[in-house]
Amino acid sequence: MVENLLAGFWAATSLSNLAALFSGTLVGIIVGILPGLGPMVGMVVLLPFSFAFPPNVALSLLLGVFCGGYYGGGIPAILLRTPGVPSSLVTSFDGYPLTQRGEAQIALSAALLGSFGGGIISVLILIFLAPVLAHVAASFGPPEYFAVAVFGVVLVVMAFRAQLGRGIMLLGLGFFFSTVGIDGTTLSQRFCFGTLSMQNGLDIVPICLGLFGIGQTLILVEQEIMKTHDIQLSRSSLDFSKLWKVLKYWKTLIRSSVIGTFVGLLPGTGSILASFLSYDVAKRLSKDKSLFGKGTPEGCLAAEAGNNAVPAGAMIPLLTLGIPGDALSAVLLGVFTINGIYPGPLLLIKEPVLISTLYISMLFINIAAFVMLIVWLRPFAMIVKVPGRLLAVVIMVISVVGIYAVNTRLFDAGVAIAMGVLGYALLRMKWPIVNLVMGVVLGEIMENRLRQTLSLGDGSLWIVFQRPISLFLIVLTCLIIIVPFVLDARKAKKKIV
Amino acid sequence: MSDKAFSSSRVHDLLGSLLGVFAASMLISCPWQVDTSGPDPFYKGPLIFPLILFGLILAGSLPSMWRLCKPSLNASWYLDGQGKSLKSMVILGLLIVYLAGLMVIGLEVSTWLFLVIALKFVKQDSPLKITLIPLLITLILFFIFKIFLDVWFPEPLIMGIFQE
Repeated sequence: MVENLLAGFWAATSLSNLAALFSGTLVGIIVGILPGLGPMVGMVVLLPFSFAFPPNVALSLLLGVFCGGYYGGGIPAILLRTPGVPSSLVTSFDGYPLTQRGEAQIALSAALLGSFGGGIISVLILIFLAPVLAHVAASFGPPEYFAVAVFGVVLVVMAFRAQLGRGIMLLGLGFFFSTVGIDGTTLSQRFCFGTLSMQNGLDIVPICLGLFGIGQTLILVEQEIMKTHDIQLSRSSLDFSKLWKVLKYWKTLIRSSVIGTFVGLLPGTGSILASFLSYDVAKRLSKDKSLFGKGTPEGCLAAEAGNNAVPAGAMIPLLTLGIPGDALSAVLLGVFTINGIYPGPLLLIKEPVLISTLYISMLFINIAAFVMLIVWLRPFAMIVKVPGRLLAVVIMVISVVGIYAVNTRLFDAGVAIAMGVLGYALLRMKWPIVNLVMGVVLGEIMENRLRQTLSLGDGSLWIVFQRPISLFLIVLTCLIIIVPFVLDARKAKKKIV
Repeated sequence: MSDKAFSSSRVHDLLGSLLGVFAASMLISCPWQVDTSGPDPFYKGPLIFPLILFGLILAGSLPSMWRLCKPSLNASWYLDGQGKSLKSMVILGLLIVYLAGLMVIGLEVSTWLFLVIALKFVKQDSPLKITLIPLLITLILFFIFKIFLDVWFPEPLIMGIFQE
């Protein structure tokens, strides 16, 4: 393991990798700071460019955006009470009151330290937990993988159980998109509607780029111009003395980071739950509970540590099982597969250096984001002043040209625009769009595992219930479906009484 | 407007029902849309998963269909009070024209034109912005895609007309 980590270290410190992770982090912080964009838009816009690079460099670039986005999101949440990314809403609970009291520096110090601690601790957990999980998963056969995929899908659907029907529909629609084209197993045509272009199928790249890149920017075009004259920062860089002051909350930092990592590990839960849960636990265990919500650095630190631990947490099921935890890691899965790398338990054995490079790159990304924000705090904060509509128009052009460039097919750009319309409608109606992406990504995995399991069982799924691990996962899946409804029913009953 | 009221808008039910109708029609036409001429048994074949997924969409759409047919007393077509998406639709139209423009007038001219018109439309039209940004972005795209990544772009159709 140490040898692989050393090899990964040398690969991560190569000039191309360092350049990719620094530029990715920079883009990530910028899109994270800009409300309405977020790391997903940054990742999908950079996706077409990443194909020009080797896999480790491409992944470092996108991981930089992924992690950097969460760093940036806290800044407008603290200074303007406008979260750059949805999970930073929790940071604003205490960050904005501190800013109003003229203590923006201490709020930003707490948020940055939280982000840094969350990022580093979660990567360390990833380094030690991934091999253990991969070791367990190495004994998995098709029934176990099928059960894991069902478990992941059910978790995603249940995460939005307030919109259960819509979630199921979008998941099904995602599955449908994954079946278009030539079936890989039987080489049969499916849903090509007599056109040649459809035979290549619908790539994950134009779908994601359309849904998030174009869809989100169409929303941005309609948004009012944000009032940014309130931004007040006494210094252009972060005040180090304040950073030392918030170090006294180190226990909260470690606890929130661990919570964030484990929430990120579960498919469909996402960073919002991570920051809410970390904040809530910090509040319950704090000596100064009454200060929460009125402006305490501990609140900012807990929320940011929680949400920044999610990227590394989400990498655990992605690398070991090939199951993405959220839409962002689904895009990373797309990058892996496009480069001929298939995440799963064997990945850690087959590509140990690549995996170690990713670990080290993630550590570097956290260090880079932390240093960049300390040094260039005010310039970064001023990015909020860039008009959203201007950015939206520019991003649309880059998205369309970028998507054409991947396969030099105008058809892909057309798909991206069509998905943009769908994405716009779904985002505006607040439907759980993540289910659609998960459906597209997991569709092929689900179908292959289902057919393999049925082949093993001579056309029967009974084999899933005959093997202990798959049976355990199916029981767990049933519990995930039943328990929330039982709890909801009890709550409703109590209310009536 | 509360989230609950927003969520109960009939627009949601209409979209859900349309997806349900789409799934039902695909479910019926599936055997014709999927080539099942191979030797594999049904459970190994290409039809089993599409049947499951369309069944899933149809099942998910049933509540929407029910609500659309039997709306509650307070149901309305009001969505979110954010207007009629005119700006987005115009920009979307421009984007489609831009895609066609890539073939007709080429990357550079169509990018520059799209940016100038779109920026003017979204009122980001100060002389500095409208002159500098389209030019800068066009140059960046040209250098990244045509020079650095060496991406092939179709010969503009208009060039053919002039050459003739």
